[in-house]
Parts: sequence; structure tokens; C-alpha cells
Amino acid sequence: MQRYFVAMRAMIARNLINMRRYVFNTISGLVTMYIVFMLLFMGVRGIGGAGLAGGTTLEGLVVSYLVWVLSISAYSDLAWDLNQEAQVGTLEQLYISPIGFNWLNAFNLISGLGLSFVFATVLLTLMMLTTGTYLNLDLISVVPLMITALLSVYGIGFAMGGLALIFKRIQAFFQIFQFVFVAFLALPLDRFPWAQFLPLTMGGHLLRQVMVHGTRLWELPTTSLAVLVLTGVTYLALGLATFEWSARIAKRKGLLGHY
Amino acid sequence: MSMLEIHNLRKTFFAKKQKVLAVDNVSFAVQPGEMVGLLGPNGAGKTTIIKSVLGIVEPDSGTISVKGYDPSRQLRQLLSHTAAVLEGSRNIYWRLSVWENICFFAGIHGISVAQGKSYFEHLLGTFNLNEKRNSEVRLLSQGMKQKVAICCALAKQTSLVFLDEPTLGLDVETSYELRDALRELVQKERRTVVVSSHDMDVIQDICQRAVIVSGGRVIADEKINDLLALFESRTFKLVIAGVDHKDLLAALNRMFPQLTHTKNDRQLLLTANLPQANDLYALIDLLREHGAELETINQEAPDLEKVFVNLVRKERERCNGTL
Repeated sequence: MQRYFVAMRAMIARNLINMRRYVFNTISGLVTMYIVFMLLFMGVRGIGGAGLAGGTTLEGLVVSYLVWVLSISAYSDLAWDLNQEAQVGTLEQLYISPIGFNWLNAFNLISGLGLSFVFATVLLTLMMLTTGTYLNLDLISVVPLMITALLSVYGIGFAMGGLALIFKRIQAFFQIFQFVFVAFLALPLDRFPWAQFLPLTMGGHLLRQVMVHGTRLWELPTTSLAVLVLTGVTYLALGLATFEWSARIAKRKGLLGHY
Repeated sequence: MSMLEIHNLRKTFFAKKQKVLAVDNVSFAVQPGEMVGLLGPNGAGKTTIIKSVLGIVEPDSGTISVKGYDPSRQLRQLLSHTAAVLEGSRNIYWRLSVWENICFFAGIHGISVAQGKSYFEHLLGTFNLNEKRNSEVRLLSQGMKQKVAICCALAKQTSLVFLDEPTLGLDVETSYELRDALRELVQKERRTVVVSSHDMDVIQDICQRAVIVSGGRVIADEKINDLLALFESRTFKLVIAGVDHKDLLAALNRMFPQLTHTKNDRQLLLTANLPQANDLYALIDLLREHGAELETINQEAPDLEKVFVNLVRKERERCNGTL
């Protein structure tokens, strides 16, 4: 068991060092996200507060944007990082760890999620201060909902990362897919009920309920929570299965170390 | 028990809809404490063999065992005894420092900094990396990057280490430095090392045994000395002072028709294959009779490169003959 903790500490330390080394990238990423948000916010306010997310308010926009930022961060921790590791040549070294590649990947996700939450907190504070739009930050309700909503994104990330092991030129598709998340978040459930089974849609909807309307986690409809958990687990399972399938093909074709 | 055993390993790849047999019924074993060279031209199948052992390439058939562990069923146990440098300096993080890389790769093997610190320090000393320990890898020379990659593999303190082309792209001085460090490591720590390379000089210098692979097949598996003895020749090179030796050359041609000669501006250079011990005496007598002044005489020693070229050529001829 101790070996697993050592490996987890090593992964977290590596990510923190990388973040420090790429401090300019980290800060410029945060600033870019903030500028994009402000442009969106001013645009939406300019057209009379029309809802981006299901006809909701500017508060809804803040929540949706925050979920989107966390989603692309979680997605890139998987799909993008795997692709990068394959490109630079370190992926095989992760594969020959006796801890197991899947565990290392999980540790990477845990540390990525932690860093993303810090990133999102800074961004949210900036967004609330500059827009004067204050949200209900009931952490007991927000954090579990956020993590469950991100499960489906992790599923997509695993699937994309796996496919990238086989199809090396899929990289361009990664970026496009980030914008598909916007569509998932923006779909209004009252007009498109089937959309609740899409990744992120139910998560975004419930988070808006909590953060904008102040609903507590246990006050949310049980069926909605069940759909959220079910879709999250299903997408994650499908993503993991795709990843395992892709890794097996990559091993058969000898593609893990080649880019 | 052998440290590594491979039996009838076979792997086929498909490239552009064509079947390529990368590894063809390869079998060999490596004993604990051995330093074995896996020698072969580019595309011979060396890396595929290593990756099959490590479980990152799935073989079509055959069995592999490291300390009795089978990669298809007990990969994690197998990997806890194995480390590898597979793509040289590409195997490490260039944005991390030397020390951070070593700590990271040992860490994902389950070795904490506290547990391994003194050994990591020892590695830095052995590979002359102490001064660069806090430098980011991207700022180091190719040779140093390569040494860092090897340190990262060794920091895992496994009994079996694979080094795939460890001296690729290194200058002569760094290559020798690396060889010394590896030799010391095997002697002092009783590690088992499999070095894959197409550089015969490296293998001849540091390994006790060579497994020669060509076209996916093992064509020789012998101790280096035995391989060299196999192609030992009785070819002698003689240097005679002066260039005007008409009578001598005529006599030499009569007695030793296979003898060849060249001249530079002040010497006559003779190359003669003298299979019988008496032939050499006869040649010396002839030189003395003609008053030739013998400056030097050397027996041509076979090196692994010649052995390798001969073996590969014979194998190709054998394959062409059977086609």
C-alpha cells in the first residue's frame, strides 16, 4: 500500500513542478479564461440578459462557464496529457511501472482535479468580484455535484486518450471537442428532456439549481440525481473500456512508444 | 533459475497491409549477474523482444519469464524486478531537473526519496552528474540526457535492467564514461543487464555474451570470446622499409600467391594469410634472403564487427538459398 502512496506523491510532485515551471502558461491560461468570460458576460448582458443556459440568468452563465472550465481542464488532464506523454516518449515508462498504468493515471487525475479546483476558485472569485454576480457556494452540495458531473468528461477523456494511442493525428479533434462541451452545458432540459442523458447536461443543470437558486443537494429531485450518477458512471465505464481496448490494440501493433 | 528466459517468441506486425515478421521464434536465457548484448542491425527485432518482455508489445506466441514471472499473467510482479531505458533521453521529462526526474521515476516504482536518497546520490556520482543535479534536463547535452535516462532506470534498483541503444548519439568520451559506469555497476551490484545496440564496439567492450539477432532470428548466442575465436584468422600485416623490392615481390608471388601488397612513399605493406605455422617462418626467411628490413609485423585480430558482418551475411545467404 505504501508503494501506491509513494507513486501518488511522485505524480502530484511532478504536476506541481510542471505547473511552477510553466507558470507563465498557467497565469496566461487563467487570464485568457477570465477575458473570454468577461466578453461572454458583457455580450449576454448587452442583449438583455438572454439565457445562455436554458433561458437562465447571468448567474447561470457564470455557473455554466465555471463547469466548462473545469470540464476542459479534466478533459485535457486525460486526453491531452496522454497524447503529450506519447509524443515526448515517456508513456512507455509509465506503462512499465509495477504500480500499474491505470493507478498512475488515477493519481494524475486526482492531482489534476485538485489543481483545477484551485484554478476554478481563483477564476470564480474574479468573476464574482468583477460582475457583482454572487453565487451560492454551498460546498457540501457543489463539490459532490461537480465531481459527479465531471465523471462523464473523464469518460470522454479516457476514450479520446485511448484513441490517440492508435490514431496519432486525432489531436486536432481534441480541441474541437472542447467546444462540444459548451453545447452539452447550454442545452435546456425543459425543451430537450432527452439531453439529460448527454454528458455534463444534467450536471450543469443541477449545479445551476444549487449555485443560482440556493437549492441544497438533498433538496434536488432524486430522479435527476440518479440520472446524473447513472450517466456519469456509464460514460466513465464506456471511456475506460474504450481506453483499455485501444491500449490492447496499441500493444498488439506496438504503437505505445511511437509517435 | 534464469533471470530472463525467452522461448520461441514470435511477433508479426502489419505495415501498409503487409505482414512483417519482426521476431521469429527467438529463444535465449540470461543468468543473474550477466551483462548480455543484444546485437543486431536496425529493424532486427531487438526492441520488439525487449518490449515483449516488458508487456508493452503483445507477442503472437512464445513464453517469457523474468524470475519466473510471466508478463501475460503477472506483469506487475515482473515489472517490480525490471527497469528499462527504451528511447534514451526521450524517456525522461525535459522540464524537470535531473534530481526531480530520478525521484519521479523511482517514485512510480514505489521507492520514496527517503528510501532511495543515498543510492540516488551514488548514481549521480557514478555518472558524473552531481554538478547538474538541479539543472533542467532540457538544458543538458545529449550525452548527459542519456546518462540521466539511465540513472532514472537504475534508481529503481531492480535486478534486471534493459538498456536499448544506450550510447546512441553519444560522443566517444561520454560513451566510454558510460561503459565504465555500467561495468562498475554490474560488478559491484550484481545487476543483470541486457544491452541492445547496433554498436559492436560497445557490446564487445562491456558484455560477456552476445545474442546476435538478424531478420528477427537469433543467429548466434555465444560468449564474446568464443564468437571472436570463431572468426580468428591467421592474417598478418608486415611493413618493410623501402619501396624498391622487385625481386622480393616476384619471389613472394611465387611462394605466397594470395599475398597482397601496397606501397606508400617509403614502405612496402604486405598482407598475407598464413594458415600454417611454418608459413610465417618461410615468409620471414624469404625476407631475410632478400635483405628486406622488417619494420613491424601484426596479426590481424578479429573484432565483433567483422564477426557480426560475417554471421549476418551467412544468415542472409542461407535464407536466400532456402527461398
